[in-house]
Amino acid sequence: MKLSIFRYNPEHDDRPYMQDYEIELVEGDRMLLDVILRLKRQDNTLTFRKSCREGVCGSDAMNINGRNGLACVTPVRSLKEPVVLRPLPSFPIIRDLVVDMTNFFKQYHSISPYLINPEPPPEKERLQSPAERDKLNGAYECIMCGCCSSQCPSFWWNPDKFVGPAGLIQAYRFIFDSRDRATQQRLDNLNDAYRLFRCRTIMNCSEVCPKGLEPSHAIEEIRLKMAKIPVKGGGLEMHRPISPK
Amino acid sequence: MLLFILFLLASLLLHPRDSYAEWRGWVDHPGMTIAIFSFFAALLSHMWVGLRDVLIDYARPASLRLFMLWVVGVALLGMAAWVFWILLRTQR
Amino acid sequence: MKIPRSSRPVFLNPMQIQMPVGAWTSIGHRVTGILLAVGVPVSVYLLDRSLRSEQAFADVSAMFELMPVKGVAVILLWALSHHLLAGVRHLLSDFNLGSPLRAARRSAWFVNLGGVAVALLAAGVLL
Repeated sequence: MKLSIFRYNPEHDDRPYMQDYEIELVEGDRMLLDVILRLKRQDNTLTFRKSCREGVCGSDAMNINGRNGLACVTPVRSLKEPVVLRPLPSFPIIRDLVVDMTNFFKQYHSISPYLINPEPPPEKERLQSPAERDKLNGAYECIMCGCCSSQCPSFWWNPDKFVGPAGLIQAYRFIFDSRDRATQQRLDNLNDAYRLFRCRTIMNCSEVCPKGLEPSHAIEEIRLKMAKIPVKGGGLEMHRPISPK
Repeated sequence: MLLFILFLLASLLLHPRDSYAEWRGWVDHPGMTIAIFSFFAALLSHMWVGLRDVLIDYARPASLRLFMLWVVGVALLGMAAWVFWILLRTQR
Repeated sequence: MKIPRSSRPVFLNPMQIQMPVGAWTSIGHRVTGILLAVGVPVSVYLLDRSLRSEQAFADVSAMFELMPVKGVAVILLWALSHHLLAGVRHLLSDFNLGSPLRAARRSAWFVNLGGVAVALLAAGVLL
């Protein structure tokens, strides 16, 4: 299998370049991560993040043949060759495929991703009916991998002011949580020209989410809630994730 | 706006106004004049929202952005006045 | 809050990043909007001239017989129909219609192809 991988080491390189690799696939190679881990034995300077190898930590998000995805759940045999691997678009590159997620997480923190409820906590737990809990479906599953925000052109042009699809789907998760008491503050927090409203419903986010989530739909529901239009509720739709090819 | 555009297309395709007299007569009709002006009012407001959005996305630094927004705003108001004057002049 | 500009490079070559169908609809909406915006002052000018006098009206009509002008008219008609269809798609999504990905992709294809279809029709009629 032929691959072409983005390389950049700030200590030796003036600018990034693409390096070609070739490797024989063995029987155990199912996902792209399997292949690049073996590639690291050929060239141990190749650098990338990885952890759970099962699509739940979000560490190995990268741009595969033009489309963001997780290396550990992208089937490798169906990829078009040469497989072109690049880091997530628009995030500053630390080295090779490792990017600086600081701004991405800053946007996440800015939406207060924790339950705000000043009422004294009950003995066991704050109660929530199954119907109320269902409202969080399609949003709580977000693993903050960054595939969505780094494929969003609005996030490319204004990463410091636009919260981005990942932050906004997490905002949705708390706005629609029945145990939270800060709903109006959360909505006001997003109510300016940039934070939410840079979203033009391009929908690249929903296209690339490796968990099949739909941040674009979450953003719409937040808009409706801001306008005080009753929202259908009952959680967001999810779809079968579309892997890079 | 959509309805006006469809009406315009249908009307012109079915009854092309081939002569100056016909064309002017059609525009002159009070109902038509008001419709044209309302259409432009809606159109220019629509343009403001659209162009403002493009500028917010791409125009940096903030001072340039503000300046460009003013330029666009003034240009749109100017066009509204122009259309008003054209229609008023046609009435006479 | 100002973020210090990083000295680190970024990968942001739009030619190397896959654009799904909805992205084309959206960029088309923006580009056609700008084209139409440029066309409005020109149209107002033509309106002005055509209502001035018999001669001016004749001049304007004659202009529309020229091939390049007809070509521009076809492009603007494409721009109008794409912008219109994409705008309606936007409006429907504001009412929560067509939000899930599958539906959104279908409507995006419809908008993209619809705009082109109208342009071809216009070309057939005018050219």
